[in-house]
Amino acid sequence: MVEKIKIIVNEDKCYLCGGCAGVCPSLAIKVSSSKWEFFQDKCISCKICINACPVGALDFEPLEG
Amino acid sequence: MTEIMKYDVVVVGAGIAGPIVARNVAREGYSVLLVDKKPAIGAPKQCAEGINISIFERYGIPYDKRFINREIYGARIYSPSGYELEIRYKKVSGVILERKVFDKMLAFYAARSGADVLSRTEVEDVIRENGKIIGVKAKHEGEPVEIYGDIIVAADGVESTIARKAGINTYAPPHEFDSAYEYEMLIDGFDPELIHLWFGNDVAPRGYVWVFPKDEDRANVGIGINSDNPKTAKYYLDKWLKENNIPSKKLLEINVGVVPVGGFLKELAKENVVVVGDAARQVNPMHGGGMAEAMKAGTIASKWIVKALEEENLELLKNYTTEWWEKDGKRLERVLKIRKAVERLTDEDLDVFIEVLSGTDAEKIAEGNYTEVIKVLLKHPKVLMSARRISLLKELL
Ligand SMILES: Cc1cc2nc3c(=O)[nH]c(=O)nc-3n(C[C@H](O)[C@H](O)[C@H](O)COP(=O)(O)OP(=O)(O)OC[C@H]3O[C@@H](n4cnc5c(N)ncnc54)[C@H](O)[C@@H]3O)c2cc1C
Ligand code: SF4
Ligand code: SF4
Repeated sequence: MVEKIKIIVNEDKCYLCGGCAGVCPSLAIKVSSSKWEFFQDKCISCKICINACPVGALDFEPLEG
Repeated sequence: MTEIMKYDVVVVGAGIAGPIVARNVAREGYSVLLVDKKPAIGAPKQCAEGINISIFERYGIPYDKRFINREIYGARIYSPSGYELEIRYKKVSGVILERKVFDKMLAFYAARSGADVLSRTEVEDVIRENGKIIGVKAKHEGEPVEIYGDIIVAADGVESTIARKAGINTYAPPHEFDSAYEYEMLIDGFDPELIHLWFGNDVAPRGYVWVFPKDEDRANVGIGINSDNPKTAKYYLDKWLKENNIPSKKLLEINVGVVPVGGFLKELAKENVVVVGDAARQVNPMHGGGMAEAMKAGTIASKWIVKALEEENLELLKNYTTEWWEKDGKRLERVLKIRKAVERLTDEDLDVFIEVLSGTDAEKIAEGNYTEVIKVLLKHPKVLMSARRISLLKELL
């Protein structure tokens, strides 16, 4: 089974470019012009967003349980 | 209180595709609203700002020096071991734009043609009634707005949230995107009449490094790599600057983005929702240029939107999908096939190909005429020595 994760953003690194939202297969990330948001209930823990970020602003934490 | 608005057409996203559609449809007398989440349309830019000269005449855009930073006469391509291939035209072949001004002016042309334009307006969802999409929910300067429209245009770039909320599957696997990172910086020593491109599997996996000159000593210096690469685009660009002893302490801007380069949306219109530009992945997969493709698609889409409104028949929107696929989809699928073959080239292959090709061959590549160049390559002894190279090239004929 895939390990359940939480995606976290380093706000100081993020450019709000929207790329991670674009590659996310399940609309679990929303990027507005002033903030980056993550929706845990939609995330399928695929980690696609982490590699796609051009600056490495994303990371993950394992979720318990 | 929620403000309520009503238009014939609501266009989400004022990049390139959105304003072209908004302008063309408003010109025909229909009510159009163009919205963008950015407080200043065009900023921050997410682009190297290079575009072919032909777009101005073709899409009725004024050749306005306010958004043209520099005229370009060709390109120089560098192989991993330093072989160079140059195309230099006598006439201007392209320009480097100032996208912050360009995008805003495109929205201005739409406004002048009769469209309403609202910046700082983020669309969050679609509104449905009996299963049918009748509008969008947005926030304008933080206040809720409901915008009703007969036709909704998703021109919201690579995020393509609106298309997806409308039930159009724009999903593509990570390998079909490029991650891009760019500095606008002071840089010396590159002919400012040409754009410069470096290829190599260690330089830019799957992509290339670019220098697009903006002044004699200022340029967009960027990189695109495969999105599923474990290392970041920033890592590769910084490495390239260091290895080439290019000082990187005069950075005027940092631009970041993801580019869809691996295939195109099959269904471009569903019921009353139309998808256009990066949202439909309408990008040239070879070089990642999406502005001209967004203009092309926007032009076809607006033609069918106008026809659908005139005849009060939304079924006509499907003709946008058909026409785009017949004209541009077919052409771009072939480019994609070639890009996939280029992806399989080793650094040694790249060296050989760039070494043996002439400026005339490069011109043919720039025009999209790949077949003749493949034939030229297939005659060269250095290519004929490798069965793998021959089979790779033959696949493309
Ligand atoms: C680093 C980089 C370099 C590039 N260099 C070139 C180049 O040199 N030449 C070239 O031709 N192409 C280049 N491209 C590609 C080009 O930028 C895009 O293909 C082009 O901008 C696509 O236009 P578009 O209108 O589809 O989308 P965009 O220009 O991305 O516009 C989409 C707009 O929608 C808005 N939006 C998104 N979601 C919402 C929402 N929910 N509500 C309201 N507004 C929303 C965004 O703010 C944005 O303004 C480059 C891309 C990158 C990332
Ligand atoms: S891809 Fe990276 S920089 Fe872009 S919005 Fe996502 S986290 Fe931020
Ligand atoms: S891990 Fe996958 S599903 Fe979760 S936010 Fe990232 S891309 Fe989306």
